[in-house]
Amino acid sequence: MKENNFSSVLKSVQKPGRYIGGEYNSVMKDKRDVKCRFAFAFPDTYEIGMSNLGVRILYDVINKDKDVWCERVYAPWTDMKEKMEQYSVPLTAVESGDPLSAFDMVAFSLQYELCYTTVLSMIKLAGFPIWARERGEECPIIIGGGPCVYNAEPVAEFFDLINIGEGEEVLLEICRLYIKMKEEGRYSRTDFLREASHIEGVYIPSLYDVSYNEDGTIKEYRSLYDDVPAKIRKRIIADMDKAPYPEKLVMPYIETVHDRIVLEVYRGCIRGCRFCQAGMVYRPIREKSPETLCKQARCLFDNTGYDEISLISLSISDYSELPKLTDDLLSWTDDAHVSLSLPSLRIDSFSEELMQKVSSVRTGGITFAPEAGTQRLRDVINKNVTEEDLMRSVGIAFRGGKSNVKLYFMNGLPTETLEDIEGIAALSKKVIDEYFLLPKQQRPRGIGVTISVACFVPKPFTPFQWEKQDSFDTLLEKQAHLKSCITDKRIRYTYHDAKVSLIEAVLARGDRRLAPAIAYAVEVGATFDAWDEYFDYDRWISSFEKAGVDPAFYTTRGFGLDEILPWDIIDIGVTKAFLRRERDKAYEGKTTPSCAEHCSGCGANKLGGKNRWCK
Amino acid sequence: MVQVNNQQLKIRVKFKKVGRLQYISHLDLVRTMNKIIVRAGLPLWYTEGFNPKPKMVFAAPLSIGTESKTEYMDIRLSEYIEPEVVKSKLNENMTDEMQVLDAYYPETKFTDLKWLSYTFVIKTEGADALLVERCGAALAEEELWVLKSTKSGEAMVDIRPLVRSAVCVLDGDLLRINAHLSADPSSFLNPEYIIKLLRGKCGILSNGDLTSEWYSIMRERAYLDDMTEFR
Repeated sequence: MKENNFSSVLKSVQKPGRYIGGEYNSVMKDKRDVKCRFAFAFPDTYEIGMSNLGVRILYDVINKDKDVWCERVYAPWTDMKEKMEQYSVPLTAVESGDPLSAFDMVAFSLQYELCYTTVLSMIKLAGFPIWARERGEECPIIIGGGPCVYNAEPVAEFFDLINIGEGEEVLLEICRLYIKMKEEGRYSRTDFLREASHIEGVYIPSLYDVSYNEDGTIKEYRSLYDDVPAKIRKRIIADMDKAPYPEKLVMPYIETVHDRIVLEVYRGCIRGCRFCQAGMVYRPIREKSPETLCKQARCLFDNTGYDEISLISLSISDYSELPKLTDDLLSWTDDAHVSLSLPSLRIDSFSEELMQKVSSVRTGGITFAPEAGTQRLRDVINKNVTEEDLMRSVGIAFRGGKSNVKLYFMNGLPTETLEDIEGIAALSKKVIDEYFLLPKQQRPRGIGVTISVACFVPKPFTPFQWEKQDSFDTLLEKQAHLKSCITDKRIRYTYHDAKVSLIEAVLARGDRRLAPAIAYAVEVGATFDAWDEYFDYDRWISSFEKAGVDPAFYTTRGFGLDEILPWDIIDIGVTKAFLRRERDKAYEGKTTPSCAEHCSGCGANKLGGKNRWCK
Repeated sequence: MVQVNNQQLKIRVKFKKVGRLQYISHLDLVRTMNKIIVRAGLPLWYTEGFNPKPKMVFAAPLSIGTESKTEYMDIRLSEYIEPEVVKSKLNENMTDEMQVLDAYYPETKFTDLKWLSYTFVIKTEGADALLVERCGAALAEEELWVLKSTKSGEAMVDIRPLVRSAVCVLDGDLLRINAHLSADPSSFLNPEYIIKLLRGKCGILSNGDLTSEWYSIMRERAYLDDMTEFR
């Protein structure tokens, strides 16, 4: 997309800066000097893809290998896609501007289920067959990875290879194997995939056969050959202090969603909220030392010039050395006019001291996630925070000058009753009351509470993986009931579209029989489903019908406790027995202490990894 | 040398913004430049107040789709440093398509910049001697009315006073125009209006095929009102 004769097209689309490349710190190599060309594809816009931490890390790791050149690919927005189709311009990579057919590997990062249609439309735009089985030797190896592949089954047959777990080591091992087989003259697509299946963390969907019972449940997963593992164990990075981390970031010219330094503080989570997939699949917890983090932060500031550092993890206040880390960073960031932000604060650990350290003067707001409206339900989901925690935290926030509080909740959690829903309204009202308890001179101006309510999606690899999802009508009733309970005008109520959550649940919990439905949806124009303006519920329902899929089978039915689940062939470390124990405790209303307090024997310790908590 | 006050010194940077960077908006350029000057480690003066920022001012912002060999930016420094050092430090932190051409402590104000010259290269169907003549004649008319967006919506405006000169030539199968257009902040003329005018009057760039027809615009030089070079 760099020739003059494409300039008229660029001038005719929105935000042409998305398509040009040429960013500072982007990696250019001479394609004649490399043995493997790797395209890292993100199935969403440039602005979203450029903000993704995983892509930033892997781009850096892969490019450190001199034999491999990793480039980036993003989904063209619909206006550009239309023009590309009209003028027969194939999908290209940002750095070289070469079409994807010039690459050896194309790896997609699957961050959310609703990106699946965008993945397929990108594969089509590149000119490749969407089904892995129809691809010949001339096609690049198409790889999937990221959080969604812990249950990749609905899209498994679109990928030649799937990377389960953290990719820093596996992706390079895959490239090295590819280069080796090519050099030894024994490369063929099938031989390569067979041999790659021996690498831990690699799942080759075509090497497995699935059969089903008459009632539609799964009968058996069988690997086709003895040397292909029956279960695929996820890969982890053992020592986060030794793991490569980018020293430079590609600097976007146009504004991206997270346009700042992102410092990954640790992986995993000590908490174990029972609805949370990330809290289970990223175990065991592995921290970086404050020394490593300070070095990385300073280096990234020098190489980027950003004025904000965001400390990222699933729950930043659980980092065991947070005071030391923030003090060390603050020793230079103020003078450098750099601010710190902590996006994942827990209510029970929020303090005045912490708020002052991160007093990002830019925003007048703060966000907390109680998730449920009553203590009973918060115990069921193992959130382990109390109303007192919330009142103490918002009090500190108000006294610190924050006047806008945002609260995240969920509807449709297991055992939820109308009382729990009324609790959401009551809790929000108490936050307002807390504001007025303050002496007038201590109150910031203009109190506002926003409550944002998502619909519960029972995710694979959580204690709630067997649960039913509420029906569409039930969710609507619950949303309406909550609305009727909110009388205070200072409370703003927003909620997720239940239709979107229903489709999400089907895609998250589905098996291989969903693939034709996804392919149909793409055939009739589905793409960018994660964008409200392109999500089309009716199109999904008619695609399911055409493929003979009943969405209720994956949502309101719930899964039997003895049923073989589509994701049972993946081993995330955490055992099914632990998830089952946690489910039973949920129904008893019993909480489980965090890893820092007590080891509950989840099983993730068998994966190894240098960490403070696991026995 | 302009000593703004005891703490601030104003240095001017002349730079180019060419190639793919023509698709970067002015707002995005400002954000990008902010990070470049921080990365370069210059002794920047920061605005006072709640949210300190380095201070940058740009002359005659470019619109998307125009390249330039003559952009100007004033930066406030907290101490004197050699212009050559500023130039090299900035260039280390920029890519090939954006490079500093000159840095100096200025004696003029941005409001002294009155005219900008541009080169238009147009690939259009039917580019021949006759079309060149028609375009030349169209640009030589005594009144040049175009639909222009103004503060209060769109209106027909005579841009004749804003077009100081415009010369058309045929260069192979390309149409080439050199023009001097107003850069005065109160009557700035976006060069796209020249394309718009010729599209309407002479039918250039209208076959509907975006890959066979294209144009490029390059901002070349900047002038004072007496047509001596702006610096």
